[in-house]
Amino acid sequence: MDISQIIQFTFSGLTLGSIYALMAVSLSIVYKVSRVISFAQGEFFVFGALTMITLTGIGVWAPLAFALSVLMAALLGSIIEQALIRPVLKTTLGTVITMTIAISLALRGLALLLWGRGSHTSATFSSGEPIRILDAALQIQVLWIVGVTGAALLLIWLFFEKTMLGIAIRASADNPVGASLVGISIRKVNLLAWSWGSGLGAVAGMVVAPLYFLQYGSGVLPMVNGFIAIAISGLKSIPAAVVAGFFLGFVEAYSIGFVSSQFSEVIVFTVLIVVLQIRSKAASGAGFDEKGM
Amino acid sequence: MMKRRIISIAALLFLALYPVTFGGSSPYHSAIMIVLGIYVILAISLDLLVGFAGQISLGHAAFYAIGAYASGILTVTYNMSPVGAMLVGLSLSGVIAAFIGWSVLKLRGYYLAMATMGLAAITHTLIIGMQSLTGGASGLRDVPPFRIFGISMDSYVHYYYFVWAMVVLVIVCCLAIIRSPMGRTLMAIHSDEAAASTLGINCAFQKTSTFVASSMFASLAGSLYAHYMGFLAPDDFSIFTSVHILVMVFLGGVGTIYGAAFGAMFLKLLPELTHTFQDYELLGNGLILIVVLVFMPKGLWGVITAVGRKLKLTGDAISEGNSE
Amino acid sequence: MKKAILFLFVTFFLILMVSPGVSQAAEKVVKIGGVYPLTGYLSWLGEYYKKAAVLQVDTINKAGGVNGYKLELVVYDDQSSPEEATRATLRLVSKDQVVAVTGTATAPITGAVSSVANKNKIPAVLSSGYDVKADKEPFLFNTAHPTFFAIGRPFMYLKKKNVKGAGLLMPIGSLGEIGITNSNRASQQFGIPIVGEERFDVKAPDVTAQLAKLRGANPGAIFSFTTGEPAALVAKNMAQLKFEVPLVVSHGNATPGFLKLASGLTTNVLVPTGKIMVPDSLSANDPCKALIVNFNKLHMERYGEPANYFSGLLADAVMLIAEGMRIAKSSTDPVKIRDGIEKIKNFPGLGGVYSMSASDHYGTKMEDMVLITIKGGKWVQVQ
Repeated sequence: MDISQIIQFTFSGLTLGSIYALMAVSLSIVYKVSRVISFAQGEFFVFGALTMITLTGIGVWAPLAFALSVLMAALLGSIIEQALIRPVLKTTLGTVITMTIAISLALRGLALLLWGRGSHTSATFSSGEPIRILDAALQIQVLWIVGVTGAALLLIWLFFEKTMLGIAIRASADNPVGASLVGISIRKVNLLAWSWGSGLGAVAGMVVAPLYFLQYGSGVLPMVNGFIAIAISGLKSIPAAVVAGFFLGFVEAYSIGFVSSQFSEVIVFTVLIVVLQIRSKAASGAGFDEKGM
Repeated sequence: MMKRRIISIAALLFLALYPVTFGGSSPYHSAIMIVLGIYVILAISLDLLVGFAGQISLGHAAFYAIGAYASGILTVTYNMSPVGAMLVGLSLSGVIAAFIGWSVLKLRGYYLAMATMGLAAITHTLIIGMQSLTGGASGLRDVPPFRIFGISMDSYVHYYYFVWAMVVLVIVCCLAIIRSPMGRTLMAIHSDEAAASTLGINCAFQKTSTFVASSMFASLAGSLYAHYMGFLAPDDFSIFTSVHILVMVFLGGVGTIYGAAFGAMFLKLLPELTHTFQDYELLGNGLILIVVLVFMPKGLWGVITAVGRKLKLTGDAISEGNSE
Repeated sequence: MKKAILFLFVTFFLILMVSPGVSQAAEKVVKIGGVYPLTGYLSWLGEYYKKAAVLQVDTINKAGGVNGYKLELVVYDDQSSPEEATRATLRLVSKDQVVAVTGTATAPITGAVSSVANKNKIPAVLSSGYDVKADKEPFLFNTAHPTFFAIGRPFMYLKKKNVKGAGLLMPIGSLGEIGITNSNRASQQFGIPIVGEERFDVKAPDVTAQLAKLRGANPGAIFSFTTGEPAALVAKNMAQLKFEVPLVVSHGNATPGFLKLASGLTTNVLVPTGKIMVPDSLSANDPCKALIVNFNKLHMERYGEPANYFSGLLADAVMLIAEGMRIAKSSTDPVKIRDGIEKIKNFPGLGGVYSMSASDHYGTKMEDMVLITIKGGKWVQVQ
């Protein structure tokens, strides 16, 4: 094994990790505010990317297409929250999970009808040769993904720490009863969370799409991995989710590189289960569920 | 009461005579009913775990796979009898469920969902990876038909009776579990685990036992499936399969064994009717489920029993006691 | 009362008389089945299958059918799943009473269909990477070139180019398993050693780690027996790494879809395929040329797109069934038809000249395959 290969494993880990981290952020926003993890997030990933590809395909200026796609995803997310999530929030966790699964099936089916079964390529945000160190190469688009993730983190931090609305939302997430007593509308807060989460999911899709070939079903894998990332990070802090996302990417890349490319998935899920076990021993309130599931 | 008896007997008779009447002794219709029966077992066993013990599991397909591949591998490569292979599958699933269940079931909520998803993914990957044993992704061929007491069930019509006999057995077992003291303890844990433990209930033990029972039933379904298909491929045992079964449970109505059974039958028979809609199927499934979850909290079965109550076919809860 | 009964009786009798098909000589029709993925992840392939089969059945019927019988194609969707394929085949066999079955897109699906077909003694002329063991499954035939040819043919070419070692980047899944087994066989036959073997998840967004590992062993070519997006991703990542050796992918990539994906890449992609993909480069005395050119023309006229490798597979399946019927002098007895198919010798099809036997249920030769690559957005034959 030479140094060039190890560098490439690292680059690969960075590539995968950046995708998982960004997905983890979009899942986190929704969870942190509304305490729901949405299985449908992967579909916003796909919708965002494919909408942007369609728009640029008919000649819309790229940054405008980007903005429009985000808006559309946010709108879609808020409609879904109001119409579908709100009614089932009062039931069991199992029902909520199944509802988000149902939404993901419906959205994927819609994507299939709108964009067909074929795959679509999208242009990278900037042109340029990959970064090369010895024989290893890293696509510049990955830097864009990391950059966007960083920007998202910054905006989120600013919002939650520095704006009245953000502080109010944090309060309502920690203490819904108290918050509503003070006049904060839980409904508005949840709506906000979902529209941003969806918008961010769309952003993730658009910024990741140039790396490979996207089709209607491509949202599942990023979502599952984003999921694993926030589960590892503990569902509590968004920056931790980002770190966990990158961690996951590296675990996967290094397993492929150093252990076995055939069983890397087993390794990833085993790490997940082990981490969950350790955490459940450390603190008895391991899974947040006031609904008693 | 009399009406209910008549309806139950009529249903049983229909089931018993189906292959030779409406089914026209055709292997195709028997085959549909066989697959239906297998999924009814899968849905019911998952409902035991999700609806009664309140444990979200996305890993049901793992035990389905263990039963199927145990039966497949042992009968094909080691020439074991199908009954023996099935029992090995059951034991294996039970042991693994006991071991894993004990550690995984300490988790709650989303963590539990993730961990069980991990189980299904690991099992799937291992099946593909251990190619020399399982035939890998290309599949395991030449699984013989089921044989019991020397009778080999080559014909689907015969196998249909055996499978549905198993379905009835599983339903009876599940109902027995629910009505037993253990069942009541489970429901106590489901509604409030903290309170239940203050009453001295050993929650971990109860939850794990349910997990073991549920997994063993899934394994049974897997064994039945192996001998039906004659061929096994990992494609049929993925996370999507687990999700599919979960959807059946919720569609039919969580927490009522009959609901899960109905959900399984509904989802499996639906493609027969919507053959022409092909590409709309994914969207359709999602929409149906959404509608049920929002408007019919008790699931489709809930709607049916409500209608039945209106038509006085089933008594209402007061006059019937808690026998439903 | 009596009048009413009489009236009913007369009406009933009249209706019976007018009902179609009661006393007329019905046209003799025999049904053949199709198990194609019309939905699910393989539906792009199912579309090609269906189009080609429908076209070929029509062509045969226009020429008068077989043994006085017209063919009727009954198609069911297997939803890209082995379980649904089993159900579809059972339906064809028991409800529709077909005398033969065509279709299937993957090895596991073929396994499921073959299981039913062999149990019910109906010949199945399928098309996939499934490894047919004719002694165990006498009713199964395969028009797809044996995977060994699809891998051996590129090995043959690389040997001529003096390539010194091959690296394998195989997908996790049945194609990968088939790919590894046959690469090892071809490596032995042609004397090019395998210097590395890695696997990857077809849904993964990045395979540079595996490629870096393989590059360390200095292979002269990479074999990645995968189809569609994953194959394009391997090509893309190789270009990214400036890993400039030829990339051999599966014969399932001879499609317009893959052409579009891989056109912009600098990687030298080689696709083994049938001669149907390069009708213009065929020599005038190639026994299959006329057939290929004609089929292509008909396909273009009817569907507005040229035929491709997969169209050829299904058209050949239908042709082989028809020829089997001719040889057996029976269009209705599945067992006789199976025997007839097995007796086919020197029969030109779109994929090659078929000669079946009790041990060989493929019928073609390695030389029936060619290699194509992408130049200027088009398929070009590699010499």
